[in-house]
Amino acid sequence: MMRLEAKKMVATGDYTAAYGALLCDVDVVAAYPITPQTIIVEEFSNFVNNGITDAEFIMVESEHSAMSACIAAQASGARTFTATSSQGLALMHEMLFVASALRLPIVMPVVNRTLAAPIGIWCEHNDSMPQRDAGWIQMSCEDNQEVLDMIIMAYKIGERKDVLLPVMPCLDAFILSHTVEPVDAPSSDEVADFIGKYDPVATLDPNNPMAIGTFSPPEYIQELRYQTHVAMENAKKAIRETTKDFARKFGRDYYGLIEEYRCDDADVVLATVGTVTGTAREVVDELREKGKKVGLIKLRFYRPFPAEEIKKIAENVSAIGVYDRAISYGVGGPLFIETRNALYGLDLPVLNFLAGLGGRDVVKGDIEKMYEILLKAKKEKPEKEIYWIGTRGVSI
Amino acid sequence: MIFLAIFSFAIKLILHYHITWRMYEIRFHGRGGQGGRMAAEAYALAAFLEGNYAVSFPFFGAERRGAPVRAFTRVDNKKIRIKTQVYEPDYVVVLDETLIETEDVLEGLKEDGMVIINTQRKPEEVKLSKPVKCATVDATSIALDILGRPITNTSILGAIAKATGKVSIESIEKAIIEKFGERLGKEAGEKNALAARTAYEKTLIGVSQGGKAFVPRKKWLPDVNEMPVGGATPAMKTDAGLVGIGSFIENKTGDWRTFIPSIDKEKCIGCRFCWFYCPEGCIEMVDNKANVNYDYCKGCGICANECPVNAIEMKREVRT
Repeated sequence: MMRLEAKKMVATGDYTAAYGALLCDVDVVAAYPITPQTIIVEEFSNFVNNGITDAEFIMVESEHSAMSACIAAQASGARTFTATSSQGLALMHEMLFVASALRLPIVMPVVNRTLAAPIGIWCEHNDSMPQRDAGWIQMSCEDNQEVLDMIIMAYKIGERKDVLLPVMPCLDAFILSHTVEPVDAPSSDEVADFIGKYDPVATLDPNNPMAIGTFSPPEYIQELRYQTHVAMENAKKAIRETTKDFARKFGRDYYGLIEEYRCDDADVVLATVGTVTGTAREVVDELREKGKKVGLIKLRFYRPFPAEEIKKIAENVSAIGVYDRAISYGVGGPLFIETRNALYGLDLPVLNFLAGLGGRDVVKGDIEKMYEILLKAKKEKPEKEIYWIGTRGVSI
Repeated sequence: MIFLAIFSFAIKLILHYHITWRMYEIRFHGRGGQGGRMAAEAYALAAFLEGNYAVSFPFFGAERRGAPVRAFTRVDNKKIRIKTQVYEPDYVVVLDETLIETEDVLEGLKEDGMVIINTQRKPEEVKLSKPVKCATVDATSIALDILGRPITNTSILGAIAKATGKVSIESIEKAIIEKFGERLGKEAGEKNALAARTAYEKTLIGVSQGGKAFVPRKKWLPDVNEMPVGGATPAMKTDAGLVGIGSFIENKTGDWRTFIPSIDKEKCIGCRFCWFYCPEGCIEMVDNKANVNYDYCKGCGICANECPVNAIEMKREVRT
């Protein structure tokens, strides 16, 4: 590929994701378009067409095929990239399990979009979160800079020998995917130096034949499942180390699996995901000015889940709230379920706030409401755990 | 006096039913396509028809005709809750005689257990790992005579009824007519019942010979540290032999065969149809004539079916 100089650009989240893949010098991209992800692969096909990269661009007839092609390419030793959204990700579901079980560190940004029905193109996390058990590292970005940086880090984390898992950086539909903002892009040399060369453990090679993903009786699969489980555990360490290395090299720190914002002396904290985090930072600053001791946890990773980190914070606060943009019907938000699980044994209110479903804007007032409920929960035992913020006809 | 007699008889009956009744388990050894699973299910149905509770289930290895298959049946007088495979059977049923050569079918058999084998030999002529109660019947010949096909699963059921005395032959016949009649039609159901009745009458009961030594088959069982990452397995030499790509060199599957293709080289026109259709890839062309590698031929008969000049005949294999 052509050498790319470091530059400041003003770009959409989608363009940034494509540019991230370009910087990582991927060998193969197989993708199928779907709003609001389309621009990612469209932009990448431009890079190929314009001769900026000699990557192989494979047009396929569905997302299922896109993931299948990436699996085959990655298994032959190539570094691969694809992207999808919503229904496309749902169609890919089956192949996601193959990628992780074969330990192929494919990187695939997912632009979080509402999963039908009804058909909606706006942001909701109910497309990526049901992929929880597929064995993919899954994280959410707050802004376009994080999209770029996370794609670079995704290759670094996923390709580590103690991890070898596919990575799914998520970005909120339109709020990032179609929003332009300044992004600091490093040079391709710096990125190459940071992520190194992909050194696959096993490759499809006619001269050194190998059975990959073949029929396997019950005697073998349980050990493989354990290996993948350990790899996901290892990913925690890999993420912590990689964000540190990244900060050292590029000057931007993402603090591992979560970022704490003004949690130090906080009475109550709210854990947020995706772009809502940015707005929540504003609210925290304003409430702090009013003397309210509130803090914020930016939940970056859904898998592996930062249970230890959250528990450490929860030990020093009187109430914790979790914001979710997806719902596991009859139970609550997926991040809430995880958090409560992580805090088992601790005696403090853990509350769930659902807002922004179907892409409804989550405004400062919504977040203020969440803190208001949390501060109240600090004083008196709350009547319920789950709060549907801004839902017509549902009282809170 | 009469009351007392009736009372004590009733008590005896209750005791017999509730205390002396013990669950019994049967393990069937067969090959894919021989109907071992159907036999196990039909036996369960026969036991059910007698008012018992019965479960039956198969365990498949390779899902291929000829591959060794096991099936299990459990019978009790109350609901059976256990869901595991059967490891200590009361009875072992062998539908394919070749299986007693390659594995110890007596593995785990209870001390007073019994083995029922489809063979032309008498019980005393059968050599196993130890002397055990043994019943034999030439189910294959009975099946060929009555059904015209070597499907032995119904004949063997008659032998089980005779050898174990656990279900009546009438219940076996009823179960066969219900189960097989449903699938194959009334006439076929009745023919299969006749095969069972014939086998019932011809079953010999005795004691087998012992002393046959079996080298336990070694299995490659890597732990989590030895398991190749992602299960990507190259050709590997292990304590249990070759593993992965190319391990078929050691793992010969020709013994899965019941029928053997015989090629008439005079008739063969070298068209390669058999070579093309053989699912095992075990037909080679030698001097432009088809030649079968019997180390791997599983006797599926596809070659004979595809041959345009009928140069391939499937014959029942006689192993010595």
